[in-house]
This record gives sequence, C-alpha cells and structure tokens, in this order.
Amino acid sequence: MTGPVDTETLSMLKEVMEDDFSELITTFLDDAASRVGQLPSLLEQGDAKALRLCAHSLKGSSSNLGAIVFSDLCFEIESRANDNQLEEIEGYIERIEQEFLRVKSALEKLL
Amino acid sequence: MSESVPLTILIADDTDSDRLILEAIVKKEGHRVVSVCDGQEAISAFIAERPDMVLLDALMPRLDGFGAARKIKELAGQELVPIIFLTSLTDTESLVHCLDAGGDDFLSKPYNRVILKAKIKSFSRMREMHNEVQIQRDQIASHNDHLMQEQTIAKQVFDNIAHTGCLDAANVNYFLSPLAVFNGDVIVAAIRPSGSMMVLLGDFTGHGLPAAIGAMPLASSFYGMVQKGFSMVDILREVNQKLKQILPIGVFCCATIVDMNFVKKKIKIWNGGLPDGYVHRAATGEVETIKSTHLPLGVLDDMSFRDDCQHIEMELGDRLYMWSDGIIESRNGSGDMFGEERLRALFDSKKQAEPVFDRILNSVHEYAEGERDDDLSLIELTMVEPAEVINTNLDYEPQRYGGLLEWALDLELKPSTFRMFDPLPLLLNILVEVPGLRSHSGNLYTILAELYSNALEHGVLGLDSSWKQTPEGFARYYDERKKRVDALEGGFVRFKLDHEVEGDGGTLNIRVTDSGPGFEHQRNINNSHKAEGYSGRGIPLIRTLCDSLRYIGVGNQVEVIFKWDADD
Amino acid sequence: MGIQSRVSDDGQELVISIQGRFDFSAHQDFRNSYEALSRQPGTYRVDMNETTYLDSSALGMLLLLRDHAGGNSAKIEIVNCSPDVKKILTISNFEQLFTIQ
Repeated sequence: MTGPVDTETLSMLKEVMEDDFSELITTFLDDAASRVGQLPSLLEQGDAKALRLCAHSLKGSSSNLGAIVFSDLCFEIESRANDNQLEEIEGYIERIEQEFLRVKSALEKLL
Repeated sequence: MSESVPLTILIADDTDSDRLILEAIVKKEGHRVVSVCDGQEAISAFIAERPDMVLLDALMPRLDGFGAARKIKELAGQELVPIIFLTSLTDTESLVHCLDAGGDDFLSKPYNRVILKAKIKSFSRMREMHNEVQIQRDQIASHNDHLMQEQTIAKQVFDNIAHTGCLDAANVNYFLSPLAVFNGDVIVAAIRPSGSMMVLLGDFTGHGLPAAIGAMPLASSFYGMVQKGFSMVDILREVNQKLKQILPIGVFCCATIVDMNFVKKKIKIWNGGLPDGYVHRAATGEVETIKSTHLPLGVLDDMSFRDDCQHIEMELGDRLYMWSDGIIESRNGSGDMFGEERLRALFDSKKQAEPVFDRILNSVHEYAEGERDDDLSLIELTMVEPAEVINTNLDYEPQRYGGLLEWALDLELKPSTFRMFDPLPLLLNILVEVPGLRSHSGNLYTILAELYSNALEHGVLGLDSSWKQTPEGFARYYDERKKRVDALEGGFVRFKLDHEVEGDGGTLNIRVTDSGPGFEHQRNINNSHKAEGYSGRGIPLIRTLCDSLRYIGVGNQVEVIFKWDADD
Repeated sequence: MGIQSRVSDDGQELVISIQGRFDFSAHQDFRNSYEALSRQPGTYRVDMNETTYLDSSALGMLLLLRDHAGGNSAKIEIVNCSPDVKKILTISNFEQLFTIQ
C-alpha cells in the first residue's frame, strides 16, 4: 500500500516553492479540510452537482500535492455524483475522511 | 532562468494551493505572473494587464473558464493570446467544450513543470510568428494602397490621352476598354488641316502600366504631327522610330493606322500586327478584309521599316472597322473564344435592324456570359461628306497648319564660318519642318550639299575639280582646299530659301550665291555633262532630283526649284 | 509549360523546345536556355511541336532571342508550328524576321 503522499512529487514541489513550501502545505490543508467537511451536508441535501464540483476540486488539488490515494477517492465520489448515484457516496465519504487524516499527518511533518 | 523572452502570464484558478504551485512554476521559468481566483477577475485582469498568455481553470465560481475564455478571445481581437485550460476533466466532451470556448491547449493536474514549460515555449514562438505575419500583412496592405493610388493616377493621365482628338466626330463610333490602361490598348484620332481624318488603333504588348507607358509618346507624336499637316507615312515612321528607341526589346505595339479622305472618298491604311480590319460595303453588304502585312511598331529600325499602305475606295455609307484582339479572344464560361468566324458572321445578316456596331458589342457581351467582357477595343468609321466632319468637336483645336508653310530664309556664310561650320544640317532641320518636304529630306540634302560644295570650292576657293580624277590629285585637291579656306580673308556663300504653298503641295525655291567669278554656263546648257566648268559640279545628279535648275547672271548664282505634292 | 533545350554535338545549333503554353511564365526559362551558353551557336531552332498557345509576350521573347543572336544577322528557325501558332506568327508578320515552318 502506497503512502498517503508521494515523496517524489513533494520534493519537486519543495524545489519549486522554495521558501513558500510551508505556505503551500498549510493553504492546501486548510482548503482541503474545509471541502472534506462540506461533503456530508452536500450529500444530505442531495445536491449532486455541488457534490461533483467539490469532489472534483479536491481531486485536483490533492493530486498536485501527491496525495494519490486521496485523489482517487475523490474521483470515485465525483463520478458517482456525476451519474447521480448518490447512494454509494456515503461510504466513500467515510474513507476520504480517514485518508485525509493520514495525508494531513504526513504533510504536517514536512512543515 | 528560461531562455525565452519573459512573458506576462495570467493565471486564473479558484483553488488556492493549485494557484500557488502554478505561480511558482511560471515565475521560476522567468515570467511575470498575474493571478486571480475566478473568471470575472480574469477578464478584468486581462483588460488591465494585456498578458501574453492565459492559464485558465475550467471550473470556477462566478464566471467559469469557458465564459472567461470566450470574452478574452474577443478582447484579444486580431492578437494571438494563447489560452491554456487547467483541467483534470478527462472526458472528450468536456475537452471539446474547452476548445470551442477558445482554448488552445490543456494542462492537466497534477501540474508537470516540464510540460508547462514546453507549452509556454511553443506558444510563445507561435505568438512571435503570428506578430510577424501581422506586420507583413499590414505592410502588404499599405503597399497595395500605394499601388492602387498610382494606378488611379496613371489611369487619369491615360484617359486624358485616350479621349482627346476627334473621337466625338459624327462619323466615329468607338468602344475603348475601361481597363485599357492596363491592357495596353490606345485609340488616337485627329482631323488633318486638309480635312481628312487620321485614326490609329494600337495594342501594346504586355499588361499593366508598362504596356500603357508607350501610349504617351505615341499620342504626343501623333497629335503634334497631325496638327502640323504631316502625312500618315511621316507619322508612322516617326512613331515607329520613337517606340523602337524607347521600348525595351520584345515590347512593341500592334497597330492599324488609317487616313480617311472625305473629299476623294478613299482611305489609306496600314496594319501591323492587329487582326483583320473590315470594310463593310453599304450597297452590297460585302466585307473586304484589311490584313496585317507589317511587323508591329517598335520592332524594326527606320531603315528596315516598311510604310507601304493599302489604298481603298469607300463610298458614302461604307464603314471601316478596326479592333484589337480582345474581341476575338473573349471567352465564355467554358473557356471557348468568341473567334473570328463569329465576328465575321455578325456582318452577314442584312435583316437585322440593329446597327453592326451595337450588334458586335452586344454579341460579345452575351457570349461572355458575365465573364469579364470589357477587355476589348473597337472603332467604326463611316465615310461621309466632308461637311459632316468639320469642327464637330468643340474641344478640338481650330484647323490651321502648324507646320512651316510660307516662309523665306536668308543665310550668309563668311570665311570664319566656312572653316568650322557645316550649314547643311541646320538647313535640313528647317526643311523637314515643312510637312511635305520631310519625306524628301534625303534628296534635299544631296541637292544642298552639291550646291554648297560647288559654291564654296569652285566659286569662292577657285579649286579645279579636274584634280579629283586621280587619287593623288584627289589628296592634293583637299589639301589645297584646306589651305585656301584657312587663308581666306573675304568671300561668302549665301543661301536663300523660299517656300510657298500651292494647292495640295508646295514649291521650294533654293538660290545659292557665291562671291566667286562665276563660269560660262550659257554656252553649255545643252551639253551639261561634258562641258567645261560643269564637270564636277554634279549638275546632272541635281537635275534628276529637282524640278528645274538654272544658273543666273555670270554663273555665281544657281536657282533650284523643288516641288512637292500632298501625300494623299 | 516546359522549356527544353539541347545543343548539337558540334555546338553549332541550339534547339529550344516549348511544351504547352508559351506565355509570360516561360520568360525566365526561355532566356536561360540561350543566355547560359558559353559558346554562341551559329543557328537556333525553336521547336513548337508541343506548343499549344503563343501570346504577345512570347513574341517578345522571340525578339529578345533574335537580338541576342545578332539582330539582323541572326539565323533562327521556328519549326513544327501548329495552325494556331502559325496564325499568330502570321498576323504579326514575324516571317519577315524569322524562318517559319
């Protein structure tokens, strides 16, 4: 099982961001936390479109940070929301919340 | 640092972390970054900063990437501003949507620095090329404008030439292609002082303005000489010589020139290189063709040039037609030519009420079916009574002879002049200004040369022409001539030239007087070539060239009479 | 439109063949065929066997060739003319300057 974040991606990011690397990490974590938190209520509201957009956005930003597993889970939610298959999403939200904790922990170590 | 020129790149992404990464990558490549969070801000930033390139997130709040892209492309106008969509959308439909909205490329997440760098570089090159092309296009447009202006002016100058003269006379019908300045066709027409009408239809080779340039000297020679009363042959020679001189080799003018005499009811016509002219007989409806029998103008030098013409009688109502090959070569939609047979057939039907001239134009117009059919030139001249032709064109100058007609000239040469001045070219220059004498300039020169040398050498210097019988004597003669001229202190040779108009021609009276003692001419009048004193004076030769020759007084004065007839 | 030329073995005659339309587009090639020769041939032959059409700029090119070949003393034959081509040459009376078959 792969780690929550891809080390190669992160080292490339570190090189690119230089002194702003920490800012990047915190920015991502704040944004991601907020979006992950929105997922349950969006599902409850049955807003498939908003769910899709939220998951899509999370998918993109997390992939940039090398959180592959997390990103894939977002994709699962995004595609189901796209097909209006809201029933299965609840399970995925749980898994995403779990994975996020691992990602968060891994990234915070780099600050 | 990247090796490309630093660009200003606009980044629009609503996810903060993504935006930060992009900003960092782009800055690291050495470019200046402007970043915004949504579509609306993207548009404002575009207007404010006019970036060189735009990285646009597809899905954003307020105005999404697609809407922003459309607006930005609109704002960019003629300029090429590449838009790269940032998206992790993978389905084809979405990607097509991006392109439709104006996107030029995609960049997917996770962002790859190398790929982004490559895309920036490639689009930057494209932008540069695009700019270059724009500049060149603008240059071309500007040059084109200048050319159009020049052509308009040339056309105006050309139209002034092409439509002067007597083309508005009652017996003239003509059509000159409106684009004649560009296809080299020219028509000049004028009424001679004698009342006859001279018309020239010309077709210069080549296309465009170079073809038209030859028309200027042609027209100026034509009108200048007609006014002075010069004959058709004189004018032909002059125009040919001028064109030969100024046109490059390979450029020439096919032409037909006609002199229409309304009193004698006949025409004199010369065709060099144009299609057959037609004489359409009013009484019988028959057509006689006037074939091209000469090389076009501007090809041969004056010596080789042939000016022999056809002489044709025309009755009242008979018509002469001349055209350039534009009619024959008019093409219809299938590319077939109108051709000579069709043209000839138009003259055959007597039953048609429509005048032939209109018939020709209408037929060609119909045949060409809307293809360009105005590239033709056509002229119809009708034989009429003289009274119908006089002064019909108010713009035309009143009739008068412009050449040298009634005049007298007195020229006395003294010793200092004998030594270094040859009066013959001067005298000849004056004589060729008389329209009727120009074609006789060779003979006149011979006459004057003989009379002058007689007067100077035998009369004034007292040389004996019998010395010239032997080669040594010949050398001695000219040796002695030089000595005596140099030593001369007195003496003269006087030329008196007198010219009068007589009917259709004129008489030139030449008197040469010298200060010598004369010679016994009376005794030898009937024995001219053997008699003493006559030998070496070239009298027999002069006699063959003129109408009469006589010696006056003691023999130091000779009178030659030379008559000419109008070349009609 | 194509121009082909060849010089006889003894270098005395240049034959220029024109395929297709003989018009202004042939200008450069036509000139090159005789200008580039290091030795002037004594006679020239212009072969119109495959020439379909001749316009006034072609006539001009023939005049240029004649001038290059010595003007009045030039020896130029124009051969294998189709009726159409011959007609154009006849109207311009070029047989007064060239030998035409």
